[in-house]
Amino acid sequence: MQDGVVLTTVDEFLNWGRKNSLWPMTFGLACCAIEMMATGAAKYDLERFGCGAFMATPRRADMMIVAGTVTLKMATRVKVLYEQMAEPKYVISMGSCSNKGGPYWQWGYHVLNGVDEVVPVDVYVPGCPPRPESLIEGVMTLQKKIANERLLRNKWVKHA
Amino acid sequence: MHKELVDLINSNIPEAKAVFNEATDPKADASITVEASSILKLASWLRTNDHMPFNVLQCISGVDYLEYMEVCYILAHFDLNTPRELILKVKLTDRVNPNLDSIVEVYPAADFQERECYDMFGVSFNNHPDHRRILCPDDWKGFPLRKDYVPAKDYNGMLVYPDNKMNFEDREFIVRQNMIKKAQEKASES
Repeated sequence: MQDGVVLTTVDEFLNWGRKNSLWPMTFGLACCAIEMMATGAAKYDLERFGCGAFMATPRRADMMIVAGTVTLKMATRVKVLYEQMAEPKYVISMGSCSNKGGPYWQWGYHVLNGVDEVVPVDVYVPGCPPRPESLIEGVMTLQKKIANERLLRNKWVKHA
Repeated sequence: MHKELVDLINSNIPEAKAVFNEATDPKADASITVEASSILKLASWLRTNDHMPFNVLQCISGVDYLEYMEVCYILAHFDLNTPRELILKVKLTDRVNPNLDSIVEVYPAADFQERECYDMFGVSFNNHPDHRRILCPDDWKGFPLRKDYVPAKDYNGMLVYPDNKMNFEDREFIVRQNMIKKAQEKASES
């Protein structure tokens, strides 16, 4: 009888479920996307963390990995994609370009200096491009962040 | 090869007024400068003639020399026995509103190349089938690769250089701003 009973809080149970099924959006902007694909492939296997199911539509995705240079032309689209995602939603900014403009931050006339100008970012992954291990570290950081969330008192649920 | 071709062009299309430019550097390439008004006729002749045909258009690019605008065509012929490459230059004296005939009807590859040249340098091509920007958004202002181009402060409400993320006292930034200023002054003089 003792083995059949598990005691936990509702928050922890919900967070456990959510953090282990983070579905990212299939969405790459530049060379960082190649590292993101490598992370999703067999050798680094993002599926171990429950986020290997790259969704082809923003409406099914929980997380957006902004992998690459965000040009001004693309920034409008990135914003639209973020707004189309269902809440709760998270953003990982991957690589120097989407963190802060990268090599274009001073001379680039066409590059947004950091994707946080248009969408709120949860985790920044530095590197140019970051190795798959770095991206996995970023995903695990996001999982820790989700584990400490209180969904039922969260702004999204309150105002829903 | 270029000298031979200059004679051929001048005898067949006299209005082209082809001039041979010697390579100034051992690493540089020789080129031929022609008149802008004859470019369409010349391109169709270059493609179809029997002596020295060029069946591939490799590249169209623009150069801003501040006094004038230049458009370069790189033509080639892939023949196993006599492969050859030609750099054709066209000088456009009107730098602010440069205008040139499109060669899309002769070389279909020129379609995107000319659109890019228009996008970056503002060279407008007459009779182009789809004359609009290719890389920048449609509502972009200015032509980015011109020497006196100043980056816009914002685009559709997004700041290009946010104050909190920039170091405006950076030495390189100031040098760049001075370069732009000088280029603008020079362009307004000429």
